[in-house]
Amino acid sequence: VTGQAQLLPGTLDLLILKAVSLGPLHGYGILLRIEQISRRALLIEQGALYPALFRLVRQGLLTADWGTSDNNRRAKFYELTSAGRKRLRQEADEWKRLVAAMSAALGAQAEEI
Amino acid sequence: MKFLAPLRALCSSLFRGRRVDDEMDEEMRLHILSRAEDLERAGLSRGEAERRARIEFGGVERFKEEVRDVRWETHLENLLRDFRFALRSLSKDRKFVGTAVFALALGIGAATVVFSVFYNLLFNAVAAKDAERLVIPVIQDLESTGDRGWDAGALHCRLSDLDSIRQQNHVFENVVGYDSGVVQLRDGEGTYQLNVAPVTGDAFEFYGVPPLLGRGITPEDAKPGAAPVFVISYKTWKGEFNADPQVLGKSYTIDGEPRTLVGVMPARFQAYGRLRDIWVPFSWTNGMPRAQQEADLALLARLKPGVSAESASAELDVVVKRFAAAHPEDYPKHFRAGVLPLNDYLMGPSGYGSVFHSDIQLKSILYDLLAAVLMLLLIACSNVANLLLARATVREKEMAVRAVLGASRGRLIRQLLMESSVLAGAACLAGCAMAWFGMKGVETIVHEKAWANIGAETVFGLNAPVLLFALAATALTTLICGLVPAWRAGRVDLHPQLVGSGKGSGAGLRHGKFRAGLVVGQVALSIVLLIGAGLMMRSLYLLTHVDMGFDPKNILVVAFAPPRGHSQFPDRAKMASPEGQVLIQKDMERLRALPGVAAVAVNNTIPGYGPNRGPQVTVPGGTRAEETGLSECDENCADALGMRMIAGRWLSKGDVQTDQYVAVANQRLARDMFGEGNPLGQQLQVKAFTQFRSRGSRWAGKKPPDPPQDALFQIVGVVADVKNSGPQQPAIPMAFIPPLATGAFILQVRTNVEPGSMVHAVRDQIWTVDRDEIFWILDPLEDFLEQHTYAVPEFGVALSGPLAGVALLLVMVGVFSVMAYSVTLQTQEFGIRMALGAQQGAVLGMVLRKGIGLVAAGILIGVFASYGLTRFLASQIWGVSATDPWTFGAVVALVVMTGLAACLLPARRAASVDPLVALRYE
Repeated sequence: VTGQAQLLPGTLDLLILKAVSLGPLHGYGILLRIEQISRRALLIEQGALYPALFRLVRQGLLTADWGTSDNNRRAKFYELTSAGRKRLRQEADEWKRLVAAMSAALGAQAEEI
Repeated sequence: MKFLAPLRALCSSLFRGRRVDDEMDEEMRLHILSRAEDLERAGLSRGEAERRARIEFGGVERFKEEVRDVRWETHLENLLRDFRFALRSLSKDRKFVGTAVFALALGIGAATVVFSVFYNLLFNAVAAKDAERLVIPVIQDLESTGDRGWDAGALHCRLSDLDSIRQQNHVFENVVGYDSGVVQLRDGEGTYQLNVAPVTGDAFEFYGVPPLLGRGITPEDAKPGAAPVFVISYKTWKGEFNADPQVLGKSYTIDGEPRTLVGVMPARFQAYGRLRDIWVPFSWTNGMPRAQQEADLALLARLKPGVSAESASAELDVVVKRFAAAHPEDYPKHFRAGVLPLNDYLMGPSGYGSVFHSDIQLKSILYDLLAAVLMLLLIACSNVANLLLARATVREKEMAVRAVLGASRGRLIRQLLMESSVLAGAACLAGCAMAWFGMKGVETIVHEKAWANIGAETVFGLNAPVLLFALAATALTTLICGLVPAWRAGRVDLHPQLVGSGKGSGAGLRHGKFRAGLVVGQVALSIVLLIGAGLMMRSLYLLTHVDMGFDPKNILVVAFAPPRGHSQFPDRAKMASPEGQVLIQKDMERLRALPGVAAVAVNNTIPGYGPNRGPQVTVPGGTRAEETGLSECDENCADALGMRMIAGRWLSKGDVQTDQYVAVANQRLARDMFGEGNPLGQQLQVKAFTQFRSRGSRWAGKKPPDPPQDALFQIVGVVADVKNSGPQQPAIPMAFIPPLATGAFILQVRTNVEPGSMVHAVRDQIWTVDRDEIFWILDPLEDFLEQHTYAVPEFGVALSGPLAGVALLLVMVGVFSVMAYSVTLQTQEFGIRMALGAQQGAVLGMVLRKGIGLVAAGILIGVFASYGLTRFLASQIWGVSATDPWTFGAVVALVVMTGLAACLLPARRAASVDPLVALRYE
């Protein structure tokens, strides 16, 4: 598994929020969704998902409910709350600003100064 | 029930802790399973797929732990777990727990009792509303009282002046007035003599304590022509009125006038004079002479919010100076008027227990007691810290193992602190229980013994501030005695503990020194406490064994209203008239015939407490003038009171009956006037009789009697000095003369039996002579001394004595536990010594020497500390120096003996070590 980037601290929460915003998912589903939307470019410590999910539920950004998965197993499904949606929007904006700033800074050429 | 929601959430989340764990487990299992399936589908073998899935997932337990750390309930759970663990580990060591809890409970209990007394007497003594703003207007004669501070009496003024004060000041919310006296109350069956306080109509509303039954006195009751009413105290209701709930509205005859009982006050109401039985409104009936309006009143005022006592004093001084300008005869030449906070007044020399110049003040005693009990608490703490340290030494290995297994330092400290808080918590419960009993004891001492005048409205109990104090003391003890061992446990050096035996004497040495230091400190503190209590006891002993110059045993004092005194109740001037003196003679005849009465005499002072001031007396032609107390006596006084003649004779019957100008001097007067010369036959010149010199106080508003001026008295005898300002003060110069000026109106009845038992018989005899006679029968003279002079120091001893006893007990436990423990550590050493031929006596001596060494060090420090500290006690003790060598010596001997006793048992155990058994330990 080469070419995968380490997650920056704090970004896992944002990724989870984004993944869940596209529809209710259980834990493993979230992993798959993140892999899918990030085109498998990010290295995710799978177990770390669960403390993060617990934390997000506790902060009221997600709700969790037991349901049945595609292959008929009991699974906990996570859904975004309105507070979560708001947080996602804020953090995504911040992230975009950060990325823009970083790439501008890193892409600077000598003659531009 | 919305407020319960957070509580319910807490409970469910606590109990759900397990479920959260399980759910997390299930989710993670599902994750790994799904992953494995996906991997299998991608072509891996089943076994390989599962392995890969698990590796990719990472450590399940680590992530679960991470979740636990997020949950704050975890901390609570840890706390509970620590608590359970502490209980379990403590329950293994019952002896230790018993000793520690006992020591701490004694400390906390004693501290709580003393704090309750301190708080309730100093800050909660008065039941009135806004009690902290209540003040007593006082007046100080700057000429005669010198620098004695504000100990002058309460300011008394005329009723019309009270109105002026009300109108002319800007500092008082209101001022009320009251007087005091004695009345006779008759119901159909009997006659009772009761202490009365006439009050202004608004006094009850002003004080703000609601009545138990009926109503208090209202302004309506004090209007001219209002129906006469009265209100009784709880004690009177329980006693004379048999706690009858139907008494309200009944009419009784009070001093010959019908009055209706309208209210019963609660137990916690003792306002307007000490130990009043009934209260009546100041009122005027048509038959009463107009002059009665000029009754002199004591005052009680409430400051406006935010006004300081200083500014109120300044303003009152101006107002009273104005009165003095209008009626100069009522006031001293130079005086200042001011206010004292009610509580300071009650605590001060004019308040509880010490009306007659007692130098020992309750307030300072209370502060001393608080300091003492904090020392005691410290002793208890160091005791328990010592026990915990001993335990920690034994457990060093356990701690090392736990540290190696990954327990963090903080975790170990938390664990040990939890143990000490469990101990302190148990001790707090036990201590509060002890305190409850202790307070019952204090309440009995204060309210039921003769000193009912200390804190009449005070309730000693576990009220909220006191409980809070007990809890704070508990928290503090937990910290003090738990922190040191915990801190030590935190920095255990692991290696030697795990490698070595951990029980060698080397490991114990370091702790040994610290623990020895604690014992030394304990002994030193206890020495300070014991010396303090010892000084108080010795002072009380000296005070109660002062040579009064007469014999106060078995004397009953019957005081008739002073002839020129007055009251708003029926005219008492008759006592001044010849008929009055005849009545007193008749009374004395009847009393002499009474079985149980040995002698009866009459004079004009309460023996031991007067006269403590008087006119200037000189020798004709001499230059020296002395302020001399003049006591007007009859011929029987010297015998009845047991005075000792030094030279010459006492007044004869003839002298008294024919008003001869003869005098008996006391030794002091004789010495001051004539030195070594013979005073008999010499003459004394009395400048002017000013027996009732006005001080703007008690005797204001009266015409002074018409005394002989510049009279010459021939000295016929000299008596040994008789105390006249209480037992603490040296006697002032004194002359005993026949009743010439004020008259004699105080009967001294010496009995053969317990004088208290004669009160009823004496009263009945006097009433046989005159049914309407008004008089006080004072408590037997010994009780009177107790109330007025011994009460406060006795109070100090009653509280500090047990404290010192507890301190001694704790020190004994402390020394014993340290010695016993060090003997246990050295068992092996003793075994070797004895195997090598040491005698039992030598081993015994070794242990004793070590123990006594500790005690001696403590004693040395303690004695030095006491030497410096007892000077703060100097104002609370009398007749004994603050560094009294006898007290110091006795305390040192006591502590040495206690220390020896505490060492003896461990020493004997050391001496009886069996070498074989001891060596087998190895």
